[in-house]
Amino acid sequence: MNKINNLGKEYRSRAPKSEKIQDVLTFKDKHLLESKIKVTIDNVECEVPYGTTILEAARMIGIKIPTLCYHDNLCIAGVCRICVVEVDGQRTLHASCSYPITSPMVIRTHTKKIRQVRRHILDLMLSEHQGECYSCCRNGHCELQILAQEYGIDFYRFGHEVKTVFGRDDSGYSIVRDMDKCILCRRCVRACIDLQEVGVYNVLNRGKDTYVGTFMNHPMSDVVCINCGQCINHCPTGALHSRDFSEDVWAAIDDPAKHVVIQTAPAPRAAIGECFGLKPGQPLTFELNTAIRHCGFDKVFDTNFTADLTIIEEGTELIQRLYHALITKEEVALPLFTSCSPGWIKYIEHFYPEMLDHLSSAKSPQQMFGAVTKTYYAEYNNIDPFDIVTVSLMPCTAKKFECNRPEFVSSGYKDVDYVLTTREMAQMIKEVGIDLPEMPKSDFDEPFGTATGSGVIFAATGGVMESAIRTVYELVTGDKIEGIFSQMRIKPVRGFDGIKYAELKIDKVGKVPGILKHIVDDWKWLKGVTLKVAVCHGTANAKRVLDNIREGGKLSECHFVEFMACPGGCLGGGGQPIPTDKKILEARAKAIYAEDERSEVRKSYENPAVLKLYGEFLKDGPCGHKSHSLLHTSYTPRTKMMV
Amino acid sequence: MQVIYRQKVLQEIEELMAIYGDDRSSLLPILHAMQDRYQYIPDRIIQTVAHALKIHPAEVEAVVSFYSFFETREKLGKYVIRLCQTISCDMKGKHNVARQLQNELGIKFGETTRDGMFTLRYTNCLGLCDQGPAMLVNERLFAHATPDKAQRIIEECKRDFIRSEFPWTVPSILRKTGPLLNNGTKLNVGLKTALKKKSKDIIEVLRKSGLKGRGGAGFPTAFKWQLATDDKSEQKYVVCNADEGEPGTFKDRFLLYEHTDVILDGITIGAYAIGANQGFIYLRTEYRYMLEYLEAALEKRRQEGLLGKGILCKKGFDFDIQIRLGAGAYVCGEETALIESLEGERGEPRNRPPFPVDTGFFGRPTIVNNVETFAAVALILAKGAKWFADHGTDKSRGTKLFSISGDCERPGIYEFAFGTTINELLKEVGAEDAKAVQIGGASGLCISRNDFDRKLSFEDLSSGGSVIIFGPECNMLDVARNFCDFFIEESCGQCTPCRIGNMKIREGITLLEKGKCSSSYLKELVKLSDTMHLACKCGLGQSSGNAFTTIMGGFREEILGQVLSASGGKVS
Repeated sequence: MNKINNLGKEYRSRAPKSEKIQDVLTFKDKHLLESKIKVTIDNVECEVPYGTTILEAARMIGIKIPTLCYHDNLCIAGVCRICVVEVDGQRTLHASCSYPITSPMVIRTHTKKIRQVRRHILDLMLSEHQGECYSCCRNGHCELQILAQEYGIDFYRFGHEVKTVFGRDDSGYSIVRDMDKCILCRRCVRACIDLQEVGVYNVLNRGKDTYVGTFMNHPMSDVVCINCGQCINHCPTGALHSRDFSEDVWAAIDDPAKHVVIQTAPAPRAAIGECFGLKPGQPLTFELNTAIRHCGFDKVFDTNFTADLTIIEEGTELIQRLYHALITKEEVALPLFTSCSPGWIKYIEHFYPEMLDHLSSAKSPQQMFGAVTKTYYAEYNNIDPFDIVTVSLMPCTAKKFECNRPEFVSSGYKDVDYVLTTREMAQMIKEVGIDLPEMPKSDFDEPFGTATGSGVIFAATGGVMESAIRTVYELVTGDKIEGIFSQMRIKPVRGFDGIKYAELKIDKVGKVPGILKHIVDDWKWLKGVTLKVAVCHGTANAKRVLDNIREGGKLSECHFVEFMACPGGCLGGGGQPIPTDKKILEARAKAIYAEDERSEVRKSYENPAVLKLYGEFLKDGPCGHKSHSLLHTSYTPRTKMMV
Repeated sequence: MQVIYRQKVLQEIEELMAIYGDDRSSLLPILHAMQDRYQYIPDRIIQTVAHALKIHPAEVEAVVSFYSFFETREKLGKYVIRLCQTISCDMKGKHNVARQLQNELGIKFGETTRDGMFTLRYTNCLGLCDQGPAMLVNERLFAHATPDKAQRIIEECKRDFIRSEFPWTVPSILRKTGPLLNNGTKLNVGLKTALKKKSKDIIEVLRKSGLKGRGGAGFPTAFKWQLATDDKSEQKYVVCNADEGEPGTFKDRFLLYEHTDVILDGITIGAYAIGANQGFIYLRTEYRYMLEYLEAALEKRRQEGLLGKGILCKKGFDFDIQIRLGAGAYVCGEETALIESLEGERGEPRNRPPFPVDTGFFGRPTIVNNVETFAAVALILAKGAKWFADHGTDKSRGTKLFSISGDCERPGIYEFAFGTTINELLKEVGAEDAKAVQIGGASGLCISRNDFDRKLSFEDLSSGGSVIIFGPECNMLDVARNFCDFFIEESCGQCTPCRIGNMKIREGITLLEKGKCSSSYLKELVKLSDTMHLACKCGLGQSSGNAFTTIMGGFREEILGQVLSASGGKVS
């Protein structure tokens, strides 16, 4: 298996601003780039590589410079000016986040001038920042609030008018904008364009009238937005947040007639500890079960169960398509695209509607869960599905939109009623007065409590692909995947490279297992085939992959491609605790893979509960008639045109 | 009603992309064409443009909304009347003209008449400060506007015929010439001399001449060009900054029109020296009436072999110049903002470093110089470094054009040697009773009588040539307000200190006008303008508090006195 990271220049999407900022390093001699520059920061001498910014250099030696518009994940803007420092010999101060060190210099990070400037900048921001901290969802972890505290702001030097200028836009299911709290750091703009290539927001007007707006001020329900929530995760204040349905969930819990069940996805479980002061990378799966029951939910289930189901259904679909392509020579769309990420689904619907037939028709695990809960589970427990309220805990804001799609009523009711993000769940638990990390552990409820390690790793980019490979390889060859990948670690699809590519040759084939007997008679036709797969995350990378496929590039030879809308996959979802950066992502991923390795069963097709479901309920097997009506869906071609 | 067919728009866009290229830098020319054809740029067109250029509609809207000459929400009138609201015109009776325009048309500023004939707008400096109030009707410029004249112009517009009583291009008033304007050299001598030299020799001549940038920042031209020359990049650019937006400056308007070939010589010399093969003239859209003339001048040069392949039979020296129009944004005079604008972005200044000399237009080395700098280069090459260096002071060599307006007997364009004192200048222009002089436009300093012995030079009072004179009757708080309003509108809005800082200063001026500003708050505001000077991202922001600080410093007594008169002498 090999990886490709660079698809060549011709496949690059239009240069985002981030590339422009790094220009100081392009077109330069190699020896310059490798050279080291001596700098003195606050009397500490150090050597840094050519082109390092002052901010990075200061961080290397443990000096903290405050930042607001700067974000590790984003290109540099240098607009808030809070990070200014003094460079000896220069008349004015410089933004440390954007100043590349190319010659020796002496830098000071806290002088009288700098203190005056930083206080003034905070005073200015606060004078235009409407609203009071105690009625804000970011109270306690707002970057502006923290800086105001650190700089001892105890009065509004330049006034503080409390009046609504923009009002709140909560027209969408996922993202709420409260622009009166915006400080114009433009992190959302950069996240939306540079990370995601969606382009919902931009800075409009100039001078005193400058604001961050949507195209033609359309409400969030109308704009070309994929609801990924990356803007929320990158916002330093409460100007952007997800639409909170916890009030409705409480109402359902308080209603004795309702049977409230919740499914929890692996990504929030790996991250929710961060909301309770834990370091990233400490999963609280079983503590969370106890806490959720304390809140009053009737049952706690594991989304991994339907993740396994997804693998079976999607894997079967892949085999069907391959069979049609290789044997019956029918027109089928290959590569097959995964369909678990609702942000990604909306992205392709808007931007590449002509490629929708590539998408797997399998629903996302969340929606499969809703469908089986209100049918199988309701039947099994003799509960009227009308009285079941299905809640899901997700790392994702796009899931909120997904569960409200009109087509997701295959049980006859809304399959999933409410989606809570990790942050909102943490809020509910805090409201009950629970200190989550101190909770005793408890297990999931049956019948959807048995899951495999394959479901767990869905949370990380490459996880769906890894799970699929584990299952498909073994079903086809009859061999154990451990034979080629030690400890089942399929490393080529792991990690945070934007686009990953891998090949797997099928040298031998085994017997067709019972579960797939209705699909194919034998595997001989797959012998000698090299399975080609790709994985990408962040829709900016998705765009590159789709363009490559459309132009008939290398990736068009793939059979299966995993797409995740958020950078890092679900671990970096828009509903996850803030902040999310590369280090935090790595810590969360480590937790996920550790949980996988602790699991007794690590391959989806070996999940006994899934097999039971096929045995008892979905009797015509994967991709059969009943599974099609409950577990599969269709997509809506949308357009990027708004008028 | 005009129906906009997307297919037709797309076809028009594709034709423009064939001319200007299919990358983002063609955005502004496309938007100009759309604004002209459809009188506004509605969402439908924005989306079509965006998808043609493979960018997001929100990005195009961001650009459209940045520039004041583009309109997205409603169709502009057939005749768009733009009245200059900047200080010099303000002092010359702009208010009366404004009132009469409103009376004649029955609309307020910012509105369009119901028949779609007229739109009334304020605009900032039109570069006709010595002949104000200035007014722009579509592309056509009118000097010395009066209520009566305004009425007559409206009448003629209604008949779709503007008589020759109003000349197409308002001539500049040249009052005093010096060695620069009286150079006595023949056409293209500078360029011919330059092409006989090596690049490093040209730069050496410039270094010896001591020429510093004429735009106001005063960066040594030879050093700038040296840096760009040293860069090994294959692709380099020369940009002539003709975005003369600083209130009170109008000398570039004169040079572009009267000394076109000298400037084009200078640009070509720049290209030869640094090794560029593409040049741009970034012309502010307020000067659009010159566009046709300049295009013709370029075409003539192409035919004469002064542009194009192998200029003056010099093998391997290929160079051409394109004119790109701005769209009404003062900040685009800042070189990095100008480059952003050329690239089809909002005209927002970049972080510096890296500087344009190594990371400019599309990341390539780019020299951006003022119109007058290029003129000086051509003349220095023609007449030698010594000819130039003999004038001026030690640190400020040569002579410079000054645009003089305000309360004086003889406003116009003057060529002075550096080192001239304000007293000498005032005597020359007939304004010895002046109370204050603004050097360097809105971003410059307001000098009071006590400092009239200070010198016009880079080491003392540095400027791009704008001198605005305030007579004894002038209310200095009005001046401060006018400048502050200018910055509130013209700030690009990206960095906090400039965007909000100027708003706070403006609020402070209102308090002063009402007589409700405590001296401690005034002190805080002066400190705030110091913060802006230290922390803003670009030169515009950094200098936006200058006028306020110097006026508060020099006229504190008068302003605090006004507090009393405003409240009728009583403390309420």
